[in-house]
Amino acid sequence: MTSNDIISGGVIIKSTALLTVVFLSLPLLLVAPSYAADAEQHQAHMQHAGDHEGMAGNERKRNMREMVQWTSFPRLKMMMGGEGGEHKQVTLMPKNIAPSSVDAYSNDIHAANMHRQLPYDLVLATLDKPATGGFHWLSAREEQVDKVLVASMVYYMSERGSKDPTAMFMLQKNSLEIIPQPFPREHSRYRANEDWQFLVRFNRWPLAQQKVMLETQNGSKVEFNSDAKGIVTVHFPSDFKASARQGDMVARNGDRRQSSDFVLAAELVNAKKTYITGFNGSYGPDAFSQRSLVLGLGFTFFGMLGAAPLLRNRKADKKSAMKTAPAISTQTNKKEA
Amino acid sequence: MLRNIFPNLGFPTLGRFRFTVQIIMLFVTVYGGSVLGSYATNQLTEALPSLACAYDKLSSDKCILVVTQHQLHHRIGQALVNAKLVTVKVLIPTLISVGAFFTVFFFLNKAFCGWVCPMGTVQELLFRIGRRLGRPLNRFDKNNVGKVRPIKWLMLLVLGLPLLAGMGVAANELGAPYCQVCPSRLATTLLTMDAEQIAVQTSSGLGFFLNAASNALFGFVIIAALATRLPFCRICPLLSWNAMFQKLSPMRLVKKQNDKCEKCSICQVACPMDIHEIGREHGSKAFHEDCTLCGRCAEYCPDDGVIQIKFFGIKLFGSSLAYYKNRVKKESPEGLPKGKVIWLTQIKADK
Repeated sequence: MTSNDIISGGVIIKSTALLTVVFLSLPLLLVAPSYAADAEQHQAHMQHAGDHEGMAGNERKRNMREMVQWTSFPRLKMMMGGEGGEHKQVTLMPKNIAPSSVDAYSNDIHAANMHRQLPYDLVLATLDKPATGGFHWLSAREEQVDKVLVASMVYYMSERGSKDPTAMFMLQKNSLEIIPQPFPREHSRYRANEDWQFLVRFNRWPLAQQKVMLETQNGSKVEFNSDAKGIVTVHFPSDFKASARQGDMVARNGDRRQSSDFVLAAELVNAKKTYITGFNGSYGPDAFSQRSLVLGLGFTFFGMLGAAPLLRNRKADKKSAMKTAPAISTQTNKKEA
Repeated sequence: MLRNIFPNLGFPTLGRFRFTVQIIMLFVTVYGGSVLGSYATNQLTEALPSLACAYDKLSSDKCILVVTQHQLHHRIGQALVNAKLVTVKVLIPTLISVGAFFTVFFFLNKAFCGWVCPMGTVQELLFRIGRRLGRPLNRFDKNNVGKVRPIKWLMLLVLGLPLLAGMGVAANELGAPYCQVCPSRLATTLLTMDAEQIAVQTSSGLGFFLNAASNALFGFVIIAALATRLPFCRICPLLSWNAMFQKLSPMRLVKKQNDKCEKCSICQVACPMDIHEIGREHGSKAFHEDCTLCGRCAEYCPDDGVIQIKFFGIKLFGSSLAYYKNRVKKESPEGLPKGKVIWLTQIKADK
């Protein structure tokens, strides 16, 4: 082993030591942002746990904004309560629809209770704890003489045993349907300035040139049309106001998971009956609204500079290489002999 | 046995065979979701013993650390803060995740590091580029490497942070501390042309700090990898996590005692993790906790049958003089390709 190996190894060690100090100092940062864990703050923390749970949003803020009717389309409003984790209680409130039942569909299409009706008291439905985790479809249907209203949404449960929900999504549950293609998976979500596709179909037939309306809690109303295959590409508008970003959706631990509701709705008249279906969910602000690419590249470059000395061909390198290359060659020759 | 398989498949050496497997697994882990389906990451192991990133929107699986942090944060931590007993019921998902991890780990052992991990593949690709560019090789000698090795074990202590975050004692950003600083998150998302992860968070001070550290580490690793073999692997928490289960797998490196070892030591020169023990130890001591089962020591051992990779006692690959002679014609033990790079010092030495 040459002295230069020791020198270069020392550079690596110094750099590694610096990074180690950085990482091991992380526990010290507990002091700055940590707060006594009272139940209320922890509840807010739990509501923001995970991207999909974050899509349910800050309920108190939402409830205030809910006092203003932002859409007339049918939808399901989700509310979370309880202690969190496995004791979390999820209730659904149908809005702009008076269903006779609220149904849940599991991603395990072969399960005996794949399709079940939730306990419903004509005001609130209580989501039970499904047998498997992953994505579940929730749906409410109101049938009138000349009108059928459907409100649907997808709920994600962070448990093991989830199946691929694609087959369940494509099962016919109602006449007029809007089906995400695909639904954002874990660690992903609908966000402003992103395009997401949905399938619009009637009795399993894709609807071409079907008008689909997007209405958001932030006040946007946008129309889209499906293509020949019934696929509509929805561009989520960048309608989060700056004041909302700075607002009280910031938990005391600094979590700033912004969220707003949306409903994607279609209307179709068939055989003198009007079908109105709404697929609702929540979306967040633009991915880069609270991120800086410039600073990110800057810190990356800083790290690169830290390793740059390792790339230098030192004079000692060349001398030692001249000494060791024949030595290795000699060893090789001996072995071959 | 492997030596019988890969020539039939057109691979002249174990190294070339491993390189091909690495490239395939890079595509599977980084882009597999586009082939296997958007929800594949929830369908496979969900506990891969390699750095498959859940932030990669096209990934087909996610590493065991993601799941472990999540369960410590949202399940066990919550149970503790609600003054509930951490019952078996609370621990079942964690036990299932570890079980899923071990189910796949059982068959490949540390080869997940040397053959499957996308971050390992990226570093080795960068090292190859560094060889082509004639960059020097920086190594750890046996004194220095001992100072770096404990770091990977210290990294496991970071698992306490998601637990504290779940209890509400630590900030929520510390619910997934490994993910916040892991360079694989940046490498794999950049490979899918997604720049979101390389942009640092500006919404909170702690998030900004963690992302900045991650970006600096990433920048350091990709440059260091040009002149150092596997720089991040030395401190990777998965290296230590996998090492905990290393002795429980029937796949292992076996070295027989040989008197010639003390005068040779080519195997330790060839080892990308600078495991000097491979040159002087034998038996179970030769299968070091840092070993990634890349097989280079066996490739460059010039003595028949001294170093072997075995599965349930069946030899998959073993050293041989004939193989060694062929191997060194193509690449030196340090990874320098023969005849394909302008290495001025070597030309001067030849003169």
